[in-house]
Amino acid sequence: MNSKLTQFAGALVQPIVAVLLALLIGALAIFLVGGSVMETYAEMWKGAFGSFYFVTNTLSRATPIILVGLGTALAFRAGFFNLGAEGQMILGGLCAAITALYVPGPGWYKLVLALISGIVAGGIWSAFAGWMDAKFRMNLLITTLLLNYIASLFAGYLVAYPLKDTTGSAAMAQTKMIDQSAWLPKLFQGMSLHAGFLIALAGAILLFLFMKYTVSGYETRMLGNNPLFAAYGGVQRGKLMFYSMLASGGFAGLAGAVEVLGTQYRYLDGSLSTPGYAWSGIMATLLAGSHPLGTAFAALLLAALQTGGMGVERNTEVPLEIASVIQATLILFVSAKLSYSFLKRRKARAQSGTIS
Amino acid sequence: MEQFLDVSLFNSTLRMVTPILLAALGGAICSRVGLFNVGLEGLVLFGAFFAIVGNYITGNVWLAVAFAVLCVMLFSLIFAYLSIHLRANVIIVGISLNFLALGLTSFSLRAIFNVKGAYYDKNMQGLPAIDIPLIKDIPWLGDVLSGHSPLVYLAFLLIFVFQYFLFRTVSGFRLLAVGENPVAARSLGIKSKRIQYGAVLMCGVLCGLAGAQLSLGQVTMFTENMTAGRGFIALVATMLGQSNPLGVGASSLLFGFMDAVSIRLQGLSLPTHFTMMLPYVVTLVMMLFFKDKSYMQEARKANESSR
Repeated sequence: MNSKLTQFAGALVQPIVAVLLALLIGALAIFLVGGSVMETYAEMWKGAFGSFYFVTNTLSRATPIILVGLGTALAFRAGFFNLGAEGQMILGGLCAAITALYVPGPGWYKLVLALISGIVAGGIWSAFAGWMDAKFRMNLLITTLLLNYIASLFAGYLVAYPLKDTTGSAAMAQTKMIDQSAWLPKLFQGMSLHAGFLIALAGAILLFLFMKYTVSGYETRMLGNNPLFAAYGGVQRGKLMFYSMLASGGFAGLAGAVEVLGTQYRYLDGSLSTPGYAWSGIMATLLAGSHPLGTAFAALLLAALQTGGMGVERNTEVPLEIASVIQATLILFVSAKLSYSFLKRRKARAQSGTIS
Repeated sequence: MEQFLDVSLFNSTLRMVTPILLAALGGAICSRVGLFNVGLEGLVLFGAFFAIVGNYITGNVWLAVAFAVLCVMLFSLIFAYLSIHLRANVIIVGISLNFLALGLTSFSLRAIFNVKGAYYDKNMQGLPAIDIPLIKDIPWLGDVLSGHSPLVYLAFLLIFVFQYFLFRTVSGFRLLAVGENPVAARSLGIKSKRIQYGAVLMCGVLCGLAGAQLSLGQVTMFTENMTAGRGFIALVATMLGQSNPLGVGASSLLFGFMDAVSIRLQGLSLPTHFTMMLPYVVTLVMMLFFKDKSYMQEARKANESSR
């Protein structure tokens, strides 16, 4: 038990050191533009957690990031670089919007159907890339990147021409507004936080249990850690790739659906890609080393940095982009961390005298 | 149709293709030494930003280009150190480099120029357009090929330079050997780390030039996230061209042409989504034919090279 505890603490030390270093670099950047470091960080804290309103704001921004992060975490754990979260999210959001708009029935029925269609759309789009890799050995990293553009352009076309909202005066590429009965309910009156956050939390816990306690979860991890050993152990890579990509895309699609049904209430071209939810989700995964609960926590941290950056922008001379600088340095330090553990392992091997 | 496929379409194709081509060549060099550089987008963005900064400080276009190249080399050194020396995952380092570029350039834009979104100064000079003496007099071809910024010519020249370097020179073969099998290369006494560093720095130079062409070649300004995915397109062009300079050149031309056609269609208020989609679909189909190495080989290689 004790060793388990120290192991857990050891896993936490690295991210915390990375966060501190990134904040230090951020402080340097603030100092260079002539701002007050303490004041800026105080404003950042207030912008993210200063009042109940800001807390709910941060949580609602974190919602899609958590879901995307969970999806990529699952794929990364299996050893697949799924960089297609953006396209999967866009298609999920679009399908959710279309379902909620055009399927007849009571509100709750439309809502459930819209969420499911979002999951399915994202999942199929992602599994398509997995299938191409398993079947034709087309590099997953590239195909998922390519499919991003195709999905975003396709969705852009649909809302700019056939599905365009012509009732409003604004000439925006967007669908009609979804009927209020099919919205995800808000958790608090007058706050932006919606029920999607609970879905995201449940997803994190479920994924954690799945990875830790099920056979398929173990096979997934094994494939990611050592593909040769997994093949030796009889894991069918193609099949597992298909299913893990399906689930991974499903999470991303759900993220899009939740954002559309809980915040935007319509699909607006660029509304899911411009805030960088997908890439933030991938960052959260990298930050947490693909641990599901850690990913949710890291997503919260990144969302807090982003909403905190907005607070900094409102109340100080320091620009909003300070948040992106801190985020990027954070990821750089974390990627260095991966190699740090590698160096340690090599040192240990050298000490034990084995040559490998 | 004749009106559609006129001189300016091809002329603008050449201009559009240059940043993509330069970055894609850099990506090709990197992937030839076994480092898949996802950070092209970020490096080009850095290049575009520092070219403007250099121009602002020195007031000279050429010094600005040199400044951009130098700065991007510094950032590609981060990529090299983390991925070669510390053995961090190249893809993760590349992704984080993209984030860093986006954040740092937007931040510095506010910090240095005190503007948000875009910086533009009408007194700032862009890269001059140069006419090629003989070719410019040929009726149709002259209008297409002539009158570009020097970087455009340089980019197309570099295709052949790299083709020659990679497949006709000893150092080129050594570079290929490092990418094929680092262990075997090292056993021959090739300093594989040094060659990898060299390749990444070369990629930095090319991305710096690509950025300079972007911010000083067509327009003389910098806007936030100016690359808008061009680095990723370059990455795809690298893949489509099989990291072969001539192939990279051809695939970059395809992307540039589609870009130009899309802008033309926009002028005619036709939907551009499908023409813009075409290069990606073509790449997908091409990937079907040029199959990648199998993951088992990759895994074995990874195991070997960590010894």
